[in-house]
Amino acid sequence: MSNPGSLPASAHHEHEHTPLCRSCGAPTTSPTPAPWSGTTDSPPPAYRPIRLPAINAPTNTAAIVLSPVPQPLPVPPAAPPHAFLVPAKRITSPDDIARFHASVHGLHFLGFVAALSASVHGRKLSDPLPSPPSPAIAALLDLVSALAALVASTPPLPHSSRYGNPAFRLWHEKLTDSASELISRITATASSPADLAGADVELAPYLLDSFGNATRIDYGTGHETNFAAFLYCLARLGLITEPDYPAVVLRVFTAYLDLMRTLQDTYQLEPAGSHGVWGLDDYHFLPFIFGSAQLIDHKYMKPKSIHNPDILENFSKEYMYLACVAYVKKVKKGPFMEHSPMLDDISGVANWKKVNSGLLKMYKAEVLEKVPIMQHFLFGSLIKWED
Amino acid sequence: MSSPHGGLDDQIERLMQCKPLAEPEVRALCEKAKEILMEESNVQPVKSPVTICGDIHGQFHDLAELFRIGGKCPDTNYLFMGDYVDRGYYSVETVTLLVSLKVRYPQRITILRGNHESRQITQVYGFYDECLRKYGNANVWKTFTDLFDYFPLTALVESEIFCLHGGLSPSIETLDNIRNFDRVQEVPHEGPMCDLLWSDPDDRCGWGISPRGAGYTFGQDISEQFNHTNSLRLIARAHQLVMEGFNWAHEQKVVTIFSAPNYCYRCGNMASILEVDDCREHTFIQFEPAPRRGEPDVTRRTPDYFL
Repeated sequence: MSNPGSLPASAHHEHEHTPLCRSCGAPTTSPTPAPWSGTTDSPPPAYRPIRLPAINAPTNTAAIVLSPVPQPLPVPPAAPPHAFLVPAKRITSPDDIARFHASVHGLHFLGFVAALSASVHGRKLSDPLPSPPSPAIAALLDLVSALAALVASTPPLPHSSRYGNPAFRLWHEKLTDSASELISRITATASSPADLAGADVELAPYLLDSFGNATRIDYGTGHETNFAAFLYCLARLGLITEPDYPAVVLRVFTAYLDLMRTLQDTYQLEPAGSHGVWGLDDYHFLPFIFGSAQLIDHKYMKPKSIHNPDILENFSKEYMYLACVAYVKKVKKGPFMEHSPMLDDISGVANWKKVNSGLLKMYKAEVLEKVPIMQHFLFGSLIKWED
Repeated sequence: MSSPHGGLDDQIERLMQCKPLAEPEVRALCEKAKEILMEESNVQPVKSPVTICGDIHGQFHDLAELFRIGGKCPDTNYLFMGDYVDRGYYSVETVTLLVSLKVRYPQRITILRGNHESRQITQVYGFYDECLRKYGNANVWKTFTDLFDYFPLTALVESEIFCLHGGLSPSIETLDNIRNFDRVQEVPHEGPMCDLLWSDPDDRCGWGISPRGAGYTFGQDISEQFNHTNSLRLIARAHQLVMEGFNWAHEQKVVTIFSAPNYCYRCGNMASILEVDDCREHTFIQFEPAPRRGEPDVTRRTPDYFL
């Protein structure tokens, strides 16, 4: 978690093994925070840690409503010669989050997610692809199939009292052992494969972090975001291009989602970083974005259609959003509006276009702008940390 | 003349029906709680008999079930090891009830701080969103997160059972190390106060990097040394979801207690509490989710992102 370039962190390092004391905890040059608006009788605490926590403005509806909807952006190509690096964690503070979002790759990563979403507007899962996909798409599907086969060969172990089945660690070990080879099958599809020698060094950590944490045996939206980062890196290398985006969402991402459901069910992955009832789902965010895009301008299906069991039953196999809602209703106990008030609220939105743009804003604010989630995001040469 | 506790008793009665207090009532309550909590130690002494509880995470009806099974406060003494908020639908009602009981019966209930009792974490994992929804502004969130800074970090039951939310710290060897630092602050990202709220026991020896990104993992060698140095019999902690509601580690010298059944409405886990009687014998009581009730009294509203 420490940032070697940060003076306060290095100053704090001197006291690493002694109890915290006021003198080393409170920076003397720290300005007094502005008075808290809306409540003047509860002043902020006089003492603040070195890293001030993020404190949002209270009830900033206007700021959220007026914040721009993330727009599709082309992925900037990474030109050879490549200097592949083992990617590392860089985000530890709200300032780091702001720096990431002001950077080229912060903008383009979010733009990539928005472009994937736009690519499936009005498309069913069973629709034919608009153009023949790149060979990398088939390689990605093979990768997901190979990982699914590893589940079949790694049955759950007799269960200890801890939540999360330790067989997931075995599965993840097998993933780790095969990651470089699986990635090389993707890079082999490049027009100049020799240029991508050593790419697995940089790509493997994203892939390994896309399926959950083997130590904690958990999974959440941060891991899902790492999978999107893995896809973004492939796009940077030209392995997938914009015409491939419908296939990336409707074929690759849905296969990944199916695999994740299998892993979650088989190994009882703990919901990592779950917002509980205040999020969409304990594990996933992106399929709601992509699924709402699929439903834009649908003639009959409206956001409130999620309350119709017949619609969920008959159309879940075509629309990711409906499949996600059906899954939540299947696995959660109790009233829908208690265990999923956000999904219930969203069902009152007038149209899917509004749902889709709102979900993109929400993804940026609730996943990509949150330190506890983004502290695990990885930076290398393809998603470069800008100092 | 009404009894000196009349207003508070009325509030507790309403809270037991899962009805949140009005904003001015919350503010007044938290001011009283602050006065009580600031007098408590970072290692708060607790006498037996006492019932030790783990994470609640806003599962109000399951907290009511816990009181039904474990006994009402103040008839039963309670020690809660943090994580009252985030994730569940009823964090507001849950934490308000526990704080009310603390103010009403300060010697009968001890409420420790969990890693979720912090400004940064509650802005990600739900309590902030819930306060906005239930009060229309963030003032109650601000009031509670200011109060959280005053919660004690650990407790010591009859000088034998060390209770805390997370686990041990490489910066802490003795209980006096904990007693001596200033806890009234936002949970830092690293350091001993962070570790107490974030660390986890591990099967591997020594200290390890925690995959949570805060705190450490610690092995049996570490907990044995800590228990020996401080003449402790047991470390009781929460922080981790466990299927049976409790889980022993380190040859029954460290126990995890989790008190939110069917966590996230889906995990299917049992919850448990640990009863320590006045002979220091301990008994786990497991329980299931509270029986289903009608739907919460809410109206649908459009989240800001979708306006």
